[in-house]
Amino acid sequence: MSRNVNVVILCEDRQHEVFARRFLERAGSGHRILRVELSPKGRGSAEQFVRERFAKELAYYRARRNRVGQALIVLIDADGRDVTDRIRQVESRCVEVGNERRQAGERVAIFVPARNIETWFAYLGGQTVNENDKYPRLERERDCKQHVDCLYDMCQRGGLRQPSPPSLEAACVEYHSRLQS
Amino acid sequence: MIKRLYIDNYKSLVNFELQLQDLTLLLGPNGVGKTSVLDVMFGVRQLLCGIVKVNDKAIFAMPTLTRWQDRNTQVFELDVVLNEDVFRYRLEVEHEREERKARIASETLRLDTRPLFEFEHGLVHLYRDDHTTGPIFGADWSESALARVPPGHDNHKLTKFLDFMRKVIVCGLHPASFEAESSTEDEVLQRDGRNFSAWYWHVSLERQELVPEFTKALQDVIPGFCSIRMEKVGLDTRALKVKFDQSGKRYEMRLDEISDGQRALIALYSLVRLAAGQGYTLFLDEPDNYIALAEIQPWLVGLRDACGAEVPQAVVCSHHPELIDYLGGDRGLVLRREISGATTVRPSRDMAIEGGMKLSEVIARGWEL
Repeated sequence: MSRNVNVVILCEDRQHEVFARRFLERAGSGHRILRVELSPKGRGSAEQFVRERFAKELAYYRARRNRVGQALIVLIDADGRDVTDRIRQVESRCVEVGNERRQAGERVAIFVPARNIETWFAYLGGQTVNENDKYPRLERERDCKQHVDCLYDMCQRGGLRQPSPPSLEAACVEYHSRLQS
Repeated sequence: MIKRLYIDNYKSLVNFELQLQDLTLLLGPNGVGKTSVLDVMFGVRQLLCGIVKVNDKAIFAMPTLTRWQDRNTQVFELDVVLNEDVFRYRLEVEHEREERKARIASETLRLDTRPLFEFEHGLVHLYRDDHTTGPIFGADWSESALARVPPGHDNHKLTKFLDFMRKVIVCGLHPASFEAESSTEDEVLQRDGRNFSAWYWHVSLERQELVPEFTKALQDVIPGFCSIRMEKVGLDTRALKVKFDQSGKRYEMRLDEISDGQRALIALYSLVRLAAGQGYTLFLDEPDNYIALAEIQPWLVGLRDACGAEVPQAVVCSHHPELIDYLGGDRGLVLRREISGATTVRPSRDMAIEGGMKLSEVIARGWEL
């Protein structure tokens, strides 16, 4: 069977990639329809790469949007910024190069963990978290599997455990409205 | 896992040190010594398997001395961490230029800096697991004396190191040389993969429970692929055959009848999916050769997921943008030749990368230097 990529994951680093990939696989996306575009710089200095790449990937998505199951998924940490502000920052490059911002109905989702993805892991690991503190990185990227399973189960049950981090609530809304509708 | 590799006076590698992760990508222009690193690993592995002598052409023969150096001694060191044990293996090879001969001047194995094995001046000093002194005896200078130490009740640590090293696979696949028939099971894949059938026979018997998942992976990758089997074609000989289904019509082809790309895919997926959990450490030279562009990342993702778990460690050399962009950011080491001729190394994450450029684009422009 030849490979036919439907879903592009654009992210800052390996931890983002493994988290997104495992969640999508858990949700039923086969690994062969996924393609990963990873910043060469790693987290904290990947913002420009993600913005530049987002404009290109959005154009590629639009060129193939009429095909079944096409989607573009972006993961970028808030790193102290407001989530909405971060999304606007990512989208701004499209406008600069003369393209439209992403439109309602486009299967283009931008997930912004705040403060960063470790905040989500701490929450999914059972802690009560806030989005200002720093939480430790996982020893190995693959260790996020248990957190992915936990998030997926919460999604299936229809809601996050309270109190939940607002950025993860926003991500759930983004997931359902952009990718599942 | 091999944490550190030190090489001195071998081709362009002078006082050269690599720090390795569970997955490492070696990058850099032609001639910087990427394959030389693999050659050293291959030579050490072969010596420790006890199947070659130090003078053999493909091991540490005189032409491997650094040409612009006058020194006659090559040094190789490996730091290996196995569970909680930290081993250091050190090999010194001394060359006599006039006679074009080499001999092992020194070979030592230490555990947490304390000796397990020492070979110097033609004499072996063995130590027990508790580091108390064991037997002393003479040994041949032309081969690894360590490789000749049989497993015993008081040298489990030494044996653990040898077992680990004997499962290092150093390979640059050359599918055209793959042989379909085999009369033996081989525990280790050869440098060009020519004994793939014999190795496949071994690993598929060792981990039969992995065959269905491996088969499913290949069904996703190779159009029409159904399964693989080792068919008996002689008294002791079996041939690797691949079964296909084309529009409901089933047929079989020998390994040497399918395409180079299909052979490479079968070998690469075997290394990741079928050899899983068998302790193989992989050193792969340009694994991207022969396989379709769209198939590189899915295999890499599988390798990345397996490394540090089912596959203890992999070191990959490549010039391919797919590998550079997927692994380079956090797993890349860039090799370069200095004005002196010697090779140096630095992590690719230390490179200055402008804006939205991919790492492969930086390297394609030669801007990594």
